[in-house]
Amino acid sequence: MSDYTVAKTLDCKGLACPMPIVRLSQEIAKIKVGEVIEMFTTDPGSLADVPSWAKSTGNAVLENKQESGVIHFFVKRQK
Amino acid sequence: MEAATQEALKKLFESKLNKAMRLYLDTCAHCGLCVEACHVYQAMPETKYTPVGRAEVVRKLFKRYFKMQGKIAPWLGEVIELDDKSVNMAYEAAFSCTGCRRCVTVCPFGIDTQQVMNIAKLLLIGAEKQPQILAMLSDMSIAKGETWKETANDYIAALNNLAPEVEALAPTPPGRPAIPIDVENANVLYVGLSGKHSIVPAAAILNAASENWTISHFEAVNFAAWLGDGEKQRLIAKRIIMEAERLKVKEVAVVECGTATRVLKFMTGSHPFRIVSIVELIARYIEQGRIKVKPGTISGTLTYHDPCQLGRNGGVMEEPRYIIGKLTDKFVELTPNKEANWCCGGGGGLISLGEHEFRMKTGKVKVDQMRASKADTICTACENCHTQLTELNEHYGLGMKVESLTNLVAHALTGFGA
Repeated sequence: MSDYTVAKTLDCKGLACPMPIVRLSQEIAKIKVGEVIEMFTTDPGSLADVPSWAKSTGNAVLENKQESGVIHFFVKRQK
Repeated sequence: MEAATQEALKKLFESKLNKAMRLYLDTCAHCGLCVEACHVYQAMPETKYTPVGRAEVVRKLFKRYFKMQGKIAPWLGEVIELDDKSVNMAYEAAFSCTGCRRCVTVCPFGIDTQQVMNIAKLLLIGAEKQPQILAMLSDMSIAKGETWKETANDYIAALNNLAPEVEALAPTPPGRPAIPIDVENANVLYVGLSGKHSIVPAAAILNAASENWTISHFEAVNFAAWLGDGEKQRLIAKRIIMEAERLKVKEVAVVECGTATRVLKFMTGSHPFRIVSIVELIARYIEQGRIKVKPGTISGTLTYHDPCQLGRNGGVMEEPRYIIGKLTDKFVELTPNKEANWCCGGGGGLISLGEHEFRMKTGKVKVDQMRASKADTICTACENCHTQLTELNEHYGLGMKVESLTNLVAHALTGFGA
């Protein structure tokens, strides 16, 4: 896992769809363009949801990792 | 509002004026029968929260721009101008309606308020006043139709991690993965949601039935149906239809999601495969002896909430009761139920939009039903309803258990396979 400077951490573990994406979209608006938000989810579908959300909103998923059922994303605000 | 925007909105309005819509807009006798049928009005008795009150916003615009009197003599009344104020009224009308269509069942003319609200929603889209959360989620789903191959390996790895949880409920048939994906010529394409709670119990049931099945890369939910954007709704549904065609499956089984089931089953045309709710599939498996469930796994009495889009608007009302009859002999009905069941207040995209205070207020009639049932557990077959019932249960301190029907079946599986 790369060492990013994280501006905000978002714990979406256990949240049902679509709340992880709703929370991500709300919280990323609170950081500056160029900053990174770290997000934890447990939805398997978030592995496709988060990248497709990033594509449709012009943001970028820098990295993801799965460990013990928890999915860890680093998302950079680009717009 | 600029004149160009107003003209564009008029054209959008006109695009929806087919024969049925003109009937809905022309024939209301203002009899008021729909008023008491609305769960929102039951909790908040204001005219704007009645089906007829909501429809009047659209109807007055219709009279202003598409009827003779409104065109030549709008000052005679009963019309409103297409402006920022009426667009705001359209928002409140459209998104205070869950689209449950209970009002349709009591209207002597069969006026479909949900369809009328689709005009209000279309005007919001044209004026760029639509709920941004639903638009964003719709765009995400459409983008996934383009990016799914890039993320497929990660998704498959996540599915493989769920195998122990599936196998704790039912053994996997020999030579197959617990959650198969991309299986050509499978009998069943199961379309779940993003969460594992929508995948694990269904996978166990399909494996217990020794079904030749495959899971979809996509989530069933169609956010654009709530947004009222027909084109986006079509694109979201098309991802699943194309996947079913690519894999040449015989049947598509949709997760417990009323709107997803209704859109895929009734709004995508005809296909060389059947489209059913997972509830219909489970009932068939039990009837054919392909799965067995042991009664007595549910403690106390059980009741069932008919999801509006699956029951009243989807016709799936007997199957859940057939399944429940195999699970327990301590079933009690909510009153009223089936076609007449009250909406829980979570439909129409309100869960995704948050709207907690509004949902808790307008769910009061459902809470009264739940209390009157004296049931220990309430189950349902829709993700939205499950979320709303869970929040109502907590908000009103009902002390009930809230369950998904598929989950109850998965935890009662026994004597696996044929």
